[in-house]
Amino acid sequence: MFSQLLVNALIAASIYLVVAAGISLAYSVTRFFHFAHAAVIACGAYSVFVLHVWVGLPLSISALIAAPLGGAVGLALELLIYRPLRRKAAGPLVLLLASIGAYVVLQNVMSLAFGDASRSIRPTSVQEGLPFLGARITCVQLISIAVALALLIILLTAFVRTRWGKMARAVMSDPELASVSGINVDGVILWVSFVASMLAATGGILQSLDVDMTPTMGMTALLAGVVAAVVGGIGRLPGVVLGAIFLALAQHLSTWIISTQWQDAIAFAILLAFLIFRPEGFMGKKVRETTV
Amino acid sequence: MMLEIRKLDTGYGKKQVLFGLSMEVRNGEIVAIIGPNGAGKSTVLKAVCGLIPAWNGRMCFDGTTTNGSTPAQNVARGITFAPQGNRVFAGLNVMENLQIGGFQVPRKELRGRIAQVLDVFPVLKDRAKQDAGNLSGGEQQMLALARALIARPKLLMLDEPSLGLSPNLVRSVFGKIVEINRDTGVSILIVEQKVREVLRVCNRVYSLKLGKLAYDGTPEELRDDKGKLKELFL
Repeated sequence: MFSQLLVNALIAASIYLVVAAGISLAYSVTRFFHFAHAAVIACGAYSVFVLHVWVGLPLSISALIAAPLGGAVGLALELLIYRPLRRKAAGPLVLLLASIGAYVVLQNVMSLAFGDASRSIRPTSVQEGLPFLGARITCVQLISIAVALALLIILLTAFVRTRWGKMARAVMSDPELASVSGINVDGVILWVSFVASMLAATGGILQSLDVDMTPTMGMTALLAGVVAAVVGGIGRLPGVVLGAIFLALAQHLSTWIISTQWQDAIAFAILLAFLIFRPEGFMGKKVRETTV
Repeated sequence: MMLEIRKLDTGYGKKQVLFGLSMEVRNGEIVAIIGPNGAGKSTVLKAVCGLIPAWNGRMCFDGTTTNGSTPAQNVARGITFAPQGNRVFAGLNVMENLQIGGFQVPRKELRGRIAQVLDVFPVLKDRAKQDAGNLSGGEQQMLALARALIARPKLLMLDEPSLGLSPNLVRSVFGKIVEINRDTGVSILIVEQKVREVLRVCNRVYSLKLGKLAYDGTPEELRDDKGKLKELFL
């Protein structure tokens, strides 16, 4: 029983990790919580549904196309909503409200297109789990964990080793200084938005491989991602890993003593505790505000 | 002429800060801008580097009008800016900070340029892998100067490079500024509150008051006229 709970936590952590990494990246360059990320998560899942169930493409090909499609939604949001607002000197609060608006619009468009009833891309036959660390795990769940780990390694390597990664870290550290150093800050925000949205869409795809999808599925995943990102330390990818594992363990091990319906309450209790006692998270740094 | 500003009006949002400002920086000069708080000194540098737009007037750099240019375009032209407050990329190490200063430099050249800049600032050599946020104030200022030099600018703009530094470090930073100007011939436009120190190193000085030019002359004239200097800061 205990080992099964640990494995379940690992599976949940892999999805939290992918979503939280996207949230953390987007927040670090734009300095506001991008609520419409929740709609991008659902977009990823519904894109796979359209490509696999309606068009008839293989599931793997559908997923490979759906992830960049989610990234394209993030690009469109940045170009059509956030960038014009930033040019009008909109602050984080205005951008946050705009992102909530964008979420509501996108979620309603998905409700109109697909209905509010749940949809599924999972195989109809029940598959027996494989033995794993003394517990049972399905192939799809193993793939989820492998995809999350692979994405994390690619992201960490790209951010430390590549020119683009260093530019993104510079913008995260001090956008104004990055600008006067010759970096095209708008360009960096654009491609980070694409990568962050692709991660969100991937989180939605992984989730939809395990459970059914609904147009509102992204909000629960987003909130878990936000908690994992805050607990780990916003902008610190290794911290996001810790945050995702910590949150998933807390939620799943608590089912020893309380019902699973309290998992969201546990997530928010953790969020509140961190905001009050350790707002910089496990690996974040206390920063001082500076202005030119 | 390296930089020519004519009748510049600009500000933030709807608030006008500079009113018809005209000034110039010639090739190889160190020019200081002094004045009381809120005079608009830093605003001049932000307008020249493209962080804020010119509302009216003209800015001309090395024969090219730069009104409407982005900071990235101005860096490519040869204008670099070290903002106020020892600003470095705190989460990146010293070497990465220098690499960012040279993002517009061809990759083959970058390593050589970093080596040259590290020769000017040997203290940074030993700290190459250290996070810039963990450097001392003086080391951060040296890094800010080094980062701005990697692109081999024609015009280097410094906003209060002495801010928050001890008197010894202030002397050391101003020594470096003179050395850089002498060895590379780069023109330097420097905003500074520590008037006595900056008057020792600059060739010409402008003083601003409430966004308007209040004085344009040589440092010697100001050093000899204590009454005038006091008047400029009242």
